Amino acid sequence: MLRYILVRTIWIFIVLVTFLSLLFVTIRLVKQYPPVDPEQYKIHFEKEKSYGYYTSRFVDDYDEVEACQDKYGKSKCGVVQVGERWRIYEPVPISKQYVSWVKNIVTDFDWGLSTKIKANEDVFNLISDKIGVTIKLNFISLFVYIPIGFLLGIIAALNKNKLVDNVIMLGVMIFISIPNFVMMFLLLLLFGYYLGWVPTQFPSAEATGSVVYTSLILPVLGLSLGSIAGLARLTRAELTEVLTSDFLLLARTKGLTRRQAVVRHAMRNSMVPLVPSIIFAFVSLIAGSVVIEMVYGIPGMGTLYVQSLAQDQIDYNVNLALSAIYTTISLFAVLFVDLSYGIVDPRIRMGARK
Amino acid sequence: MSDNNKKFIDEHIKPEMFEFVQKDQKIYDKKFETKPIGYFKDAMIRFGKNKTNVTATIILFTLILLSILVPILTNKNYEKQDSVLSLLPPRIPLLEKIGIADGTKKFTDITVDPETIGQIESNPDWGYPRGYNPDFIIKGTLTNSVESCVISDEACKGGENKLLLNANKSAAAIMSAEKVPVVNDDGEIQYTDSGKIRYQIVPVFFDIYSGVEGQIEIDIDFFAGDEYELNVYVVENVLNTTTKEEIYELKRYKVTTINEAGTITITFDDIFNEIDNPNIFYLATPIILELKGTPNVGNVVLNSITYTYGENTIVHSGYTLSTYALVPGEEYNGLYVRQNGTLQTASFKYDAYGALFEQDLLRENMSTMDYEGILTENKDVCGKIPDESEYPYDFPEGCPITRVEERIQSAPKEGGGYYYNYKVYIDYKIELGFEEIPYYIFGTEQEGKDYFALIFLGLRTSLMLGLIVAVINISIGIIYGSIEGYYGGTVDLLMERFAEIAGRIPWLVWLGLFVVIFGSGPTTLILVLTVTGWLGIASVTRTQFYRYKGREYVLASRTLGAKDMRIIFRHILPNGIGTIITSSVLMIPYVIFSESTISYLGFGLGGSGTFDLFGFVELPATSIGYLLYRSRPELTTNPYLIFFPAIIIAILMITFNMFGNALRDAFNPTLRGSE
Repeated sequence: MLRYILVRTIWIFIVLVTFLSLLFVTIRLVKQYPPVDPEQYKIHFEKEKSYGYYTSRFVDDYDEVEACQDKYGKSKCGVVQVGERWRIYEPVPISKQYVSWVKNIVTDFDWGLSTKIKANEDVFNLISDKIGVTIKLNFISLFVYIPIGFLLGIIAALNKNKLVDNVIMLGVMIFISIPNFVMMFLLLLLFGYYLGWVPTQFPSAEATGSVVYTSLILPVLGLSLGSIAGLARLTRAELTEVLTSDFLLLARTKGLTRRQAVVRHAMRNSMVPLVPSIIFAFVSLIAGSVVIEMVYGIPGMGTLYVQSLAQDQIDYNVNLALSAIYTTISLFAVLFVDLSYGIVDPRIRMGARK
Repeated sequence: MSDNNKKFIDEHIKPEMFEFVQKDQKIYDKKFETKPIGYFKDAMIRFGKNKTNVTATIILFTLILLSILVPILTNKNYEKQDSVLSLLPPRIPLLEKIGIADGTKKFTDITVDPETIGQIESNPDWGYPRGYNPDFIIKGTLTNSVESCVISDEACKGGENKLLLNANKSAAAIMSAEKVPVVNDDGEIQYTDSGKIRYQIVPVFFDIYSGVEGQIEIDIDFFAGDEYELNVYVVENVLNTTTKEEIYELKRYKVTTINEAGTITITFDDIFNEIDNPNIFYLATPIILELKGTPNVGNVVLNSITYTYGENTIVHSGYTLSTYALVPGEEYNGLYVRQNGTLQTASFKYDAYGALFEQDLLRENMSTMDYEGILTENKDVCGKIPDESEYPYDFPEGCPITRVEERIQSAPKEGGGYYYNYKVYIDYKIELGFEEIPYYIFGTEQEGKDYFALIFLGLRTSLMLGLIVAVINISIGIIYGSIEGYYGGTVDLLMERFAEIAGRIPWLVWLGLFVVIFGSGPTTLILVLTVTGWLGIASVTRTQFYRYKGREYVLASRTLGAKDMRIIFRHILPNGIGTIITSSVLMIPYVIFSESTISYLGFGLGGSGTFDLFGFVELPATSIGYLLYRSRPELTTNPYLIFFPAIIIAILMITFNMFGNALRDAFNPTLRGSE
């Protein structure tokens, strides 16, 4: 088992490194967007030099500045005027940049500085300010969605083809179909503007009082409604299958009440595909929260991600670091899913030989 | 069982009791009296049994039909910008009778135009905002309210102005100035990007003569206990009496120091006594008030400044006083803020359709081209183009332009002469070609395009894109899955790992990669939709291939010397295609779902014009996701811009999913209930 986890973790590492390397090389080859402010511009290129991505030298002739700009493209050649002379920053070959990048991350865990969102701020400082609210939202959604989803699924399965089941399944169909940002808009229009029960915008970090809690209602609903529907549908399908199986009939024949049979025998057996779906749901919650954050103006990781990709304002380092976070979460989720099979159903041994 | 047998044997049936049936008849195969039911028909019967799904399917196809027909058949414009029609609220026949979507727009807390106060019959203290016609304010809906305000705006009345020191600075100063609109060389008022008038602060000069009776009264509140002084300065801009020359020398004279609250009067003589130059008898000067004190504590409240010169009196208070500008300079650093002002605002319901179509609208600057274009186009009803001497000229009934008031000279033409603009009144109902007041069912959007047609145009793009991307995904998935499943072994292992890696990178991260390389737009959109979209189909196809590749007929075909391609496409794929197709029905709604999300985030379609898809399909670059993206800022003011596209895409997704599920269940009854 331990060996299996180790191998899988190494695999995850390989995938992560490959993809991030691809992203880094791509980012370094396309147009750059250094800070506009002259002071920050200077600091930016000095920092790039100290990271080992650029070299600098003084030139007296403006022709050399133009030559540099022609050679590397205007955005990749830094020019700072110092008195009568110019200091130009030229990028080193991409292979050397790559080596420096790996070195910076491995030795200092330094992911570079932001260029556009907050010039020359360490990207992880920037992200750590925003990650809290995103994590909070996602965990609340997770704790809201699991019990409700299960409950609805169980109710529907136990009342199969009755009115309750039909109503639940219709609701499931509706909520599973509507994109979550459209759902968020409709909720916002209804509860925020028409009824006025909840704030229409996410309050700033300084806000205090009840608004801190009421403002969480809509994003949590927007995030979890779709997942609740998905979980309810899956639970119903699995439970229906188990309820009609022979061993449950046996359980009833040997004298268990319906409740005992369902709780002790049916539930656990229907759990096998459900646990993985919950872990995947967590991943999709994190990705889905990008849209919800955009709709509700929540200053979280998702908003930061979209900001880092703004037209002609791309903040590569922030984007790279966030991509690393998202990819890591997603890859480890898959590992947990595989491990969870073995925990829920001991018959399944992950990594067992033939 | 055994009891029955016994009974049976006990009966002892005699052989004579048996007789042959149809002994002399020849028996042939008979035709079925019922019609045979094939696989397809069987599926259709199963499909038709579920009434909910049939309803969903009907709604879905109605939507698809509408998305094709509405943009073709509509008599309203959805392509051209028309600022006059911008943001008309929805107006739906029948529903308007019960007060829903009746073409009225609710306005809340709009600043009242002071000149209109007194014109409202119901309450003489009330007014309404500038640019609205009181005739079209729905009766009984107008209310005014008074709020406190701190903005430096003309509508914000009364109150005081406070001058305070910033931290660590011991002085701050303001000078008489006023806010005037910025005009360009042609005398046109300049506007900011958000459509507001652009203002600049210019100093206000007061002419002060020695020997003439005149004074400046300053009404000030001090806060007791604080230690500071308030100095009044004049800056000279003087006329020298001996040389009769104006000297523009900025020289500052301290006139007086104020130490306590109350009204301080400074006469012109006081000022000239300070100026130790007998030749000067005239000053054109801004007044400067300088606050000096210990850091962090100082502030004074200015109530009013009154300038008296002979019989003229100018009182600066409230808004006019708030236009005084902070004096720039190294030594100064302070704040000048307004407090306790009151702002009268109005809330009302406005008949937007009536205001646009039932009255003649004034257009101040209609270009010659537009003016003459409209007149020549409607020659039959408008008659001649009137001569300037006939202005103001009323056009006959039925002409889009009802009246022309004057011709305004505009920029000079090259080679002599001028361009002209016309001040005209226009009947928009006639100009837009409507006989009645039109119904814009979903209203109009920011650029004045019909939202109903635009939504269905966007729906068409979404559907087409969904279809095309689904076809691409299914094709890639089938090819990839076929190769994996057919060859198996190492090929399968490697390809499966590759698919796994592609699938485990979150779509958001893929999006980032493509945006970095290609920027936002259709290319990125399609790449993100396809990069992981084919995985599901590939895995289904692979399973089907594992299922069929060991069958005898495949072996037979191979023995006969068939090539791999032939076995794949002639023998295995046709057998597995049913399952593959039914499991890919839901691909289209999935693609529409993702497309709208990406477009909503602003990385998808751009909205204007059309875009090419691989050079053979041209689609309008408007999708539902894009409409939602662009309407986000209008959520508070015009919620219908969000509501209608949201509802339409919600209905589309629900019905599409129900249709897809029903179709899959019908073709593949074993899958019913799962997923």
